[in-house]
Amino acid sequence: MAAVRDNVFPTRMNLTTTKTRLKGAETGHSLLKRKSEALTTRFRAIVRKIEDAKLKMGKVMQNASFSLAEVAYITGDISYQVRESAKHATFRVSAKQENVSGVLLPAFERDTRMGGGSQFELTGLGRGGQQIQKARAVYMTAVEMLVELASLQTAFVILDEVIKLTNRRVNAIEYVIIPRIENTISYINSELDEQDREEFYRLKKIQGKKKERAAVAQRETDAKATARHEMPVRDILAEQVDEDIIF
Amino acid sequence: MNEIYFNAYAGYLEGVVRGYRDGLITAPQYLNLTQCETMDDLKLQLATTDYASFLQNEPSPMSTSTLSARCTDALVAEFQYLQQNAAEPISKFLDYITYGYMIDNVILLITGTLHERDTHDLLEKCHPLGFFDTMPALCVATTVQDLYSTVLVDSPLAGYFRECLSAEDLNELNIEIIRNTLHKAYLEDFYAYCQSLGEPTASIMSNILKLEADRRTVNITINSFGTELSKDDRAKLYPRLGNMYPEAQTRLARVDDIDQVKAILEQYSEYKAMLVGVSLGASSGGTGANDVTLEDRFFAREVQFNKDSFEQQFHYGVFYSWLRLKEQEIRNVVWVAECISQQQKDKINNYTSIY
Repeated sequence: MAAVRDNVFPTRMNLTTTKTRLKGAETGHSLLKRKSEALTTRFRAIVRKIEDAKLKMGKVMQNASFSLAEVAYITGDISYQVRESAKHATFRVSAKQENVSGVLLPAFERDTRMGGGSQFELTGLGRGGQQIQKARAVYMTAVEMLVELASLQTAFVILDEVIKLTNRRVNAIEYVIIPRIENTISYINSELDEQDREEFYRLKKIQGKKKERAAVAQRETDAKATARHEMPVRDILAEQVDEDIIF
Repeated sequence: MNEIYFNAYAGYLEGVVRGYRDGLITAPQYLNLTQCETMDDLKLQLATTDYASFLQNEPSPMSTSTLSARCTDALVAEFQYLQQNAAEPISKFLDYITYGYMIDNVILLITGTLHERDTHDLLEKCHPLGFFDTMPALCVATTVQDLYSTVLVDSPLAGYFRECLSAEDLNELNIEIIRNTLHKAYLEDFYAYCQSLGEPTASIMSNILKLEADRRTVNITINSFGTELSKDDRAKLYPRLGNMYPEAQTRLARVDDIDQVKAILEQYSEYKAMLVGVSLGASSGGTGANDVTLEDRFFAREVQFNKDSFEQQFHYGVFYSWLRLKEQEIRNVVWVAECISQQQKDKINNYTSIY
């Protein structure tokens, strides 16, 4: 892992940019982490609500289908009449969007504007009208329940997806991007240090050379100076070597 | 009615119908039925009743709707046997009984025609007792106008239609109002016919039909609260007979809430007793296991009257009574089956026991 780094020239400017990037990555990481936490909190709440709603749903549906059985006991089969007298929907669902830390969750709601009387209010006029109205009311609550459950369930699925995505990002930043940037920084640092050391060494070397040269020059001047002081006595005799005269 | 000749004409059928009556499920059998845990158990218990032969070929996971359909088949088979063996004037009486079902069937077909559905599918949904020869012809008519002018005038119900409705009404009026208008006309006609049969049929049938009329009156009143049905229209739907006709009906036509209905009913001794312990109003929720509705009380009272009609001989009321009892029994069995299949054991005893 340690070897993974960006392919950059180890220059000071790149060091600065990389450091800025590291800062950015860390800010992004903490932001995403907080987002994921917020989403998870929301998610837990939804899970709890779904559990409640599902448990309640069983009861409500049981009640509803039983009230239909009561209708059947009193009036017999009314399904056809009810189906045919339904001309427009009395129960409408409108979808809204809710923003939870940047995630758009659809929220279904019963559209209350419609309200409206029931179209089959006269069904069972001669017998069993009360039971029919009761069954209608019970089924109405059941449908409301279903709508609520549906919006919860959709939110559940979407949030699940988003949380996974965010967590993946958080982890990617934490375990891939940040280490890489850090590696780059340390690489650049080490390269720069290396360059520094080279420079230093070179300077040292140059200095050494200069010193050497200076020392040589010094020695020469010194030598010249001494030479001037202790000019050797010319031994002319020695200089002039006459040829032996042989007689 | 001359009792001397009664057995010559109707003795056999009366015997048969009394035999049918003995086949009705009794209280101990109901107890056994309510003890059942599954539909299979229930089926096994029903094997000792008259329904056995109709249920034996049903595959094992039996739904309550099939149970209901098979039981109705049993009822229809028995009734048709009676019809086949009947001669005048019993056959006429039996026909009168079926008119009620015919009205429902015709209404069903009219509903289908109004919404331009394929009415052939609807024929299967019709109650077999209300089947008449020209009924399939109703499917041919595509508009309500046709329906009225070509088909309905030939049906046994023509009289009721002619008296109360024009062809335009069929298009405009709410189908439920038509249904109730027809039922009202039928009830009045049936009552008049029974009166023409002489004693003791007249008195026995008058009791039963008056109760039926009163029940319709009360139900229409209660069910029309808060609907678009105006008070005048409401009054028009009341059958012009019954214990509450005409005095209480005029008052019922003007009431606005359930308490006023209660106050009016309490002036009649027979209904006052019925109201005790009854939770009126649809808003009561009906969560309690022992929640008794007015409807239940009417059922109980109807059963009582129908049982009483078997106490006398030499009258036609037994046929009507038997049919009503049998219908109630089917409702009971289906109710028990529903309770079992939906595991709502606490309400299983809300049926109306017969014997």
